Amino acid sequence: MSNNRVSRRQFLGYTLTGVGGFMAAGMLMPMVRFAVDPVLQQKEGGDFVLTDQRVDEVTEEPVRVDFTFEQTDAWYVSEVTSSAWVYKEGDKLIALSPVCKHLGCTVNWAGDPEQPNRFFCPCHAGRYEKNGQNVPGTPPLGPLDEYDVQEQDGYVAIGVVKANTLVV
Amino acid sequence: MHFIGKDIDQYLSQREYVDTAVVPLLELNLNPSDLKSSAGASEYLQSLTALLEKQFKGRILLFPPLSYTSGADRERVAEEISAEMKKAEFKHVFYLTTDAAWRSVEKLENVLWLPAIPTMDMDRNFKQSVMEDQLRQVLPLFLKEWS
Repeated sequence: MSNNRVSRRQFLGYTLTGVGGFMAAGMLMPMVRFAVDPVLQQKEGGDFVLTDQRVDEVTEEPVRVDFTFEQTDAWYVSEVTSSAWVYKEGDKLIALSPVCKHLGCTVNWAGDPEQPNRFFCPCHAGRYEKNGQNVPGTPPLGPLDEYDVQEQDGYVAIGVVKANTLVV
Repeated sequence: MHFIGKDIDQYLSQREYVDTAVVPLLELNLNPSDLKSSAGASEYLQSLTALLEKQFKGRILLFPPLSYTSGADRERVAEEISAEMKKAEFKHVFYLTTDAAWRSVEKLENVLWLPAIPTMDMDRNFKQSVMEDQLRQVLPLFLKEWS
């Protein structure tokens, strides 16, 4: 039997603190859970979409690769076909978005026979270098966006679109 | 751009760049025997114009199809739509249709007549490639008009 006996007052103090702590935690936990919810949410649409373009057939010349995914627009689900310009830089796969940064037309590689090593937008003659850098003096104000891209079983898989990381 | 609120805001601020209107002309024929081909033509025309809009989003404003009955007086439709289009002051106006009756209407300029291809029984990839072939027929006509 130890000498420092717990007095009735102390015992009640400890008990109340313990019970109060549990009650406070019971109230705070859901609040904290709500606050951090966006972080815990599972990302939808972050997956890669498999295309039918073989990786070993990709060269340094950009090729157009189409891919289809489901898009939900309010209650309306539709299959959307998008494309990307895919090429290899050394061994690295690069996929650029074909959407012109001016007003959203679709750009083509070597679309203008006079400048075969640039992307060309037929709407207002916007031009981009191979890495997506917009050519100064043409309407676009920024470089082409880039897609996350990876190899899956020998085929090109396209991920989410992100700002261009190739332009320095 | 499509004829929807969001795109129209952008159109209003970028008018100097969006100088071309595209109006699909669509015949509604509800005779039981013609119903299916009319619907097929509608599908074809709308897929084609949607592809066209994707390619030239920043320069064309795609209107919803102007639909008229099979017995409609094409001359009158032509007058009314061209009068309405004048109000918006587009530099170029294109009309796309699969209805052969428009070939003899002189009042509209830049009517692109295309024979409808029944795409409903094709699988998705094949349909996509057929429609892109069709698009390639139309693109040069736009580029020629713009140059």
